[in-house]
Amino acid sequence: MAKKPLPLIEAKDLKMYFPVGGSLFGKRKLLKAVDGVSFQLYPGETFGLVGESGCGKTTVGRTLVRLYEPTGGQILFDGTDIAKLSEAEVLPYRNRMQMIFQDPYASLNPRMTVSSIIAEPLRYQGVKPQEIASRVRDLVQQVGLKEDHLNRYPHEFSGGQRQRIGIARALASHPDFIVCDEPISALDVSIQAQIINMLEELQEKLNVTYLFVSHDLSMVRHISHRVAVMYLGHIVEMAEVRELYGNMLHPYTKALMSAVPIADPDAAAKSRRIVLQGDVPKPIDPPSGCAFRTRCPHATAACAETVPELTDMGGEHYAACIRVQRGEI
Amino acid sequence: MGRLLEVKNLTTNFHIGVGCVQAVRSVSFYLDQGESLGVVGESGSGKSVTMLSVMGLLPGYAEIKADAIRFDGKDMLNISPSEFRKIRGGDIGMIFQDPMTSLNPLYTVENQLTEPLRIHRGMSKAEARLAALNLLKRVEIPDPEQRLKQYPHEFSGGMRQRVMIAMAVACQPKLVIADEPTTALDVTIQAQVLDLLDQLKKTTSTSTIMITHDLGVIASMCKRILVMYGGLVVEQGTAREIFYQPKHPYTWGLLHSIPRINQQKGEKLIPINGTPPDMLRPPKGCPFAPRCRYAMPVCQKYLAPETVLSGTHAVCCHLMHEKAPKVERQV
Repeated sequence: MAKKPLPLIEAKDLKMYFPVGGSLFGKRKLLKAVDGVSFQLYPGETFGLVGESGCGKTTVGRTLVRLYEPTGGQILFDGTDIAKLSEAEVLPYRNRMQMIFQDPYASLNPRMTVSSIIAEPLRYQGVKPQEIASRVRDLVQQVGLKEDHLNRYPHEFSGGQRQRIGIARALASHPDFIVCDEPISALDVSIQAQIINMLEELQEKLNVTYLFVSHDLSMVRHISHRVAVMYLGHIVEMAEVRELYGNMLHPYTKALMSAVPIADPDAAAKSRRIVLQGDVPKPIDPPSGCAFRTRCPHATAACAETVPELTDMGGEHYAACIRVQRGEI
Repeated sequence: MGRLLEVKNLTTNFHIGVGCVQAVRSVSFYLDQGESLGVVGESGSGKSVTMLSVMGLLPGYAEIKADAIRFDGKDMLNISPSEFRKIRGGDIGMIFQDPMTSLNPLYTVENQLTEPLRIHRGMSKAEARLAALNLLKRVEIPDPEQRLKQYPHEFSGGMRQRVMIAMAVACQPKLVIADEPTTALDVTIQAQVLDLLDQLKKTTSTSTIMITHDLGVIASMCKRILVMYGGLVVEQGTAREIFYQPKHPYTWGLLHSIPRINQQKGEKLIPINGTPPDMLRPPKGCPFAPRCRYAMPVCQKYLAPETVLSGTHAVCCHLMHEKAPKVERQV
């Protein structure tokens, strides 16, 4: 990738809070799913977003394509802030941003044929019916399905094939940017590799930018150019992929990576898992200061006081940990 | 070490409206005392059904045939349902994938933990309560006194799986069968649960069978591995044999489908093309033949016989025939 082109998308201090609970007598609480994250996505790159369930990675993806209206911050898409645009104003940008969902069973309408599923975004764009038909045929070929699949319904397909339909639908409007939200986690291992290879080939051909949201750390390492690690609504570490996996700084990243079982018996016998104590705190009631401090083996009293800033530790390797920043760990 | 479990030519069919699903087709395997066996395969490969058949936990419309299923010297094919119930939960403990649905939401954890102890070990209520408390301590659940009184919904996913493990080991079973025990958990929680299972294995002489699709989990937890595909065991061997000298093209495919640690940037994964067979109409020959890049005409017609490569390593593939072309695993 050439050095420093203009970012396609930039999130600045992005916040997404959800009101939860609340009754006549109880006060509504705010669940801070995403609490001030900033990053840039460059054209043609894959940006991996990893973390455990409830860390806010999916919410980041959904907010970027404006499925949610963010509570605060900016989303600069090609230089325009789309964070506060109305539904009608955001529509022209929708064609350029698409999404691939996790569950290939739930994300396709069971009553629509494959061709009408793929054609739907085109109809919204106002493409002429004759052109739609030929474009749909192109798309189906691009994702490795056959033309005679077009008149079938989603239930006639396997999980991997359904995910291909979802990808064809996402590609229909010639998007610049696709959020892939756990696109392979519902699939079998041998099928996962098919989908990953296809996503990579499509990127080479179409120069599309991916936000790849996943909890599968080895797949993220395989497909991404840059990676950010999230914990309880914050990005704790972000770097170019080789740098991040080769030189982890944040204690959470280290624990997360060491927890991934290695598919190699000898290496697995040698490796040591850093086993974190306890569960992820409830996002409705996060700890003060650094959100990770309750499970962090290096936490000190100071960690409870200040929320650590995501700081460049050199070479665009960012980490949010005061002890790392002070050079103590 | 003695044989704890021996299964010979197990076949399980499900008769459903449209035909007969041949989920398991003549599977044989054994497990020695204190051994940890892993069963790996994709969804629909028959790995769970194999174990459920052994446990006698399948619904009535399942047809189970076998030449022998022997557990701890007992012939499991010809024992009465009540004897079977004594073994299940007593000498065989089970851990299921989804801790959310495998605990009863209407009973407290104490109630569910003491039940097997009272039934299988004949403990009094007070004895069972004390034993349950110790179990919760053993699976490292903080504040066990308090936790005993709570209901499953008050536990997080990882904590529920710990309760499941406590239940499985409550009666000091000879065998624990864990079916995808960490699939529903986050990686850091998975690490905790695997650590716990490891410790339990070390401190007791319990044998384990772990069913999983995660090659990483199996590499770190199991000494011997069965690879299943299309209702058959296509390859079996020690973990080192399966990971370092695999012989079946499906095993090669599985190992290539996941990114390796030392993989170069930009290097492509090698997927297995196509989709798994439909077990309503399994192919006549090798179930993997339609997806296998080395398939020969004979593969379409006949199942491959088992070729024994070492005391532990065996593979079912026509490529092992002396007249078959020599193919090398692509790396």
